[in-house]
Amino acid sequence: MDKPNFVYVTYIASTPEKVFKALTDTEATARFWFGNAVTSDWTIGAPVTFHRNGELVVKGEVLEYDPPRRLSYTFHSQHDGLYTEQPSRVVLDIEQQKDQVKLTMTHDDFAPNSKVFEKISSGWPLVLSSLKSYLEANRVLRAPWYDKETAAAS
Amino acid sequence: MSKPKFVYVTFIRTTPQKLWSALTDPNFTKQYWFGMHHETDWNAGSSWQLVFADGRVADAGEIVEVDPPKRLILKWRNEFKPELKSEGYSRCTIDLEPIGGAVQLTITHEIDSAESKFIEAVSGGWPRILSNLKSLLETGEVALKT
Repeated sequence: MDKPNFVYVTYIASTPEKVFKALTDTEATARFWFGNAVTSDWTIGAPVTFHRNGELVVKGEVLEYDPPRRLSYTFHSQHDGLYTEQPSRVVLDIEQQKDQVKLTMTHDDFAPNSKVFEKISSGWPLVLSSLKSYLEANRVLRAPWYDKETAAAS
Repeated sequence: MSKPKFVYVTFIRTTPQKLWSALTDPNFTKQYWFGMHHETDWNAGSSWQLVFADGRVADAGEIVEVDPPKRLILKWRNEFKPELKSEGYSRCTIDLEPIGGAVQLTITHEIDSAESKFIEAVSGGWPRILSNLKSLLETGEVALKT
């Protein structure tokens, strides 16, 4: 029985240090990750939290912290009733290739029939596209699902 | 047993028209698709080739469906590596959808066999090509210079 995993590769005209920093920095993630700001002291076993507009949306724990090559944490969605699912795992591998960075994101360890898996499968390409735009052009992307929230609330 | 399939989604800050042009126009593709360009008249049913800068044919097939600037479907076979060519024709669907000031570009590349070295190969190629394309459209320069 195959357990699903989601792998996404992108190439970014930047340095491993800048890519690693953007993925671990509260202000940077607030910008490119559509307001989802990450906080952690990044020691092994320490909590990792993502907050958006003051609300805790994802929490986890640092598994690996090896700047600027590899970052890994558990991923436990807190919103939309998804917290009943067991935490999954995110691994970010950062590799210098000539004067570019190859970034490989692997998200695995999902519960069977995971609803989180479906959501992150559409989330990661947008997040990592936004990261690339942020580092290369200092512009970020918008997440259409937040636009719908704003529209629904008004 | 599901067919081998590679799906890649990226979001590029551009318009569907500009992206369609970048995907099909030789002057564009040569800049980011490792010097290659398409040779075809872009009509459904017409033959299609992806050609190296030195004129060798990299891949060939047929235009299955063309609906600018939304969708392009190609019948696609590798031509220059015997072990990949022997796998026969794959199907490549390219979808463009405007979303929030950007365009969602989705590549779905699949083949009707139990396993495929060809799909494995394009799984490595597409992220490189599309990362280059995104950089070119958003910054004017490609990410990967080879």
